[in-house]
Amino acid sequence: LPAGLSQWFPALEVLDVSGTGLAELGAELLALPQLHTLLAKNNRLGGPGSLPKGLAEAPLGRSLRVLNLSGNRFAEVPPALLGLRGLQSLSLGGNRLHGIPPDIQELRSLEFLYLGGNFITSIPPELANLPSLSYLVLCDNKIQSIPPQLAQLHSLRSLSLHNNLLTYLPREILNLVHLEELSLRGNPLVVRFVRDLTYNPPSLQELAGRTIKTRNVPYAPSDLPENLVRYLSLASNCPNPKCGGVYFDSCVRQIKFVDFCGKYRLPLMHYLCSPECSSPCSSASQSSTSQSESDSEDEASVAARRMQKVLLG
Amino acid sequence: MEQLVQTETWKAGSLEELVRILHRIFAEEKVSVEEVQALMESYESNPEEWLQYAKFDQYRYTRNLVDNGNGKFNLMILCWGEGHGSSIHDHTDSHCFMKILQGNLKETLFEWPEKKGNGEMSKKSERVLRENQCAYINDSIGLHRVENISHTESAVSLHLYSPPFDSCNTFDQRTGHKHKVKMTFYSQFGERTLC
Repeated sequence: LPAGLSQWFPALEVLDVSGTGLAELGAELLALPQLHTLLAKNNRLGGPGSLPKGLAEAPLGRSLRVLNLSGNRFAEVPPALLGLRGLQSLSLGGNRLHGIPPDIQELRSLEFLYLGGNFITSIPPELANLPSLSYLVLCDNKIQSIPPQLAQLHSLRSLSLHNNLLTYLPREILNLVHLEELSLRGNPLVVRFVRDLTYNPPSLQELAGRTIKTRNVPYAPSDLPENLVRYLSLASNCPNPKCGGVYFDSCVRQIKFVDFCGKYRLPLMHYLCSPECSSPCSSASQSSTSQSESDSEDEASVAARRMQKVLLG
Repeated sequence: MEQLVQTETWKAGSLEELVRILHRIFAEEKVSVEEVQALMESYESNPEEWLQYAKFDQYRYTRNLVDNGNGKFNLMILCWGEGHGSSIHDHTDSHCFMKILQGNLKETLFEWPEKKGNGEMSKKSERVLRENQCAYINDSIGLHRVENISHTESAVSLHLYSPPFDSCNTFDQRTGHKHKVKMTFYSQFGERTLC
């Protein structure tokens, strides 16, 4: 791009350099203070230096709202763009991404994130820390599981997961109350009831951690080595309403099927703190056949019925 | 005086002309599927002529009514963002013509599920339709799913349904279970419809 770009067109708001064979976007873009939409699809971007240094701090970094880098050769989300705190829409579809960096959570204003058509194998829980995310596309990747934290994306309206390697979903997915679209086709979702999976008995550290948490034993950071303070902060609550316990690494994984329209069963993964616990989704804890739980009008059933509409809509 | 020919070979030079010829064809008692398909294919997509109807939505594909064919047919433009796709659906005993105006769309054909509907639906075939190609389907042929599989390009298609219908069934691929849905227009005659 010509070096004088920002001097000739200081008021430039939209720039489309898609399909021009560019291998890098240079520093000549940095001084465009009004540029809010930058489209650079189908180029040869992806190597180091594809994005100009100091992007986040430059006038361009503050003005940019929409960035489309789809159809390029990025093997990782370029760190240079993670500082764009005003960015609302980011597309990296059809690249060569193998993962999503946890620092994606720095994109505080992000509403629209398109990552379809890559080689992504897992989703960092930090993705759930994007407060305004409403459209998340992860289709056509190699994702094997969804972190339950994604249920914290309260503004999520559309979630695209088709053509991945999912065998089950976290039951927390039922909590996404604003979800209007959810695509799941092309995943090897588990169809049969899977008998209770291997349960690794808790370690002494885990038992001690559970006791400290459930008995509210007071402690201060100065009392414990840093690694144990961090360990204690990772306690997860057992979803069994009668338990009220916590677990760390040792938990019972159980697949429960939530029925949709009497025939289709969506496999949801529950984590419980011990084999004696039962999940709030079920009435019988150790039933050998998985039956529909539409008898009780508890929260999970209501959420499941709403999700039914989303899946078939 | 015009001779009533079994199958005419029409050439529509513009979208306006396409609509005019469609009105003529559908004013007759009998309409030939091949005739309509050839007519639709003959129109060479010119974005200037249809851009006013092509309203995209961020979250899903949109249906934009262009002409309501004096009640004989509905002509509409569908706008598909990257990755947008439809569910598997039927066509409520109507004829459905689908012509690509921009980009590409993948059409996957499915067999009707068994009455008992308790197994995965079987795929008949799939193809990618290119610009200006026109596909045809009706319930006796089967069901289909239409999707824009591109992660970088949006797609626009021109659909003709005769007779018009405003509800259809969507099918769950894993069980064959069906569910009636009402269809709405995102815009009509170039104006956004608020619901």
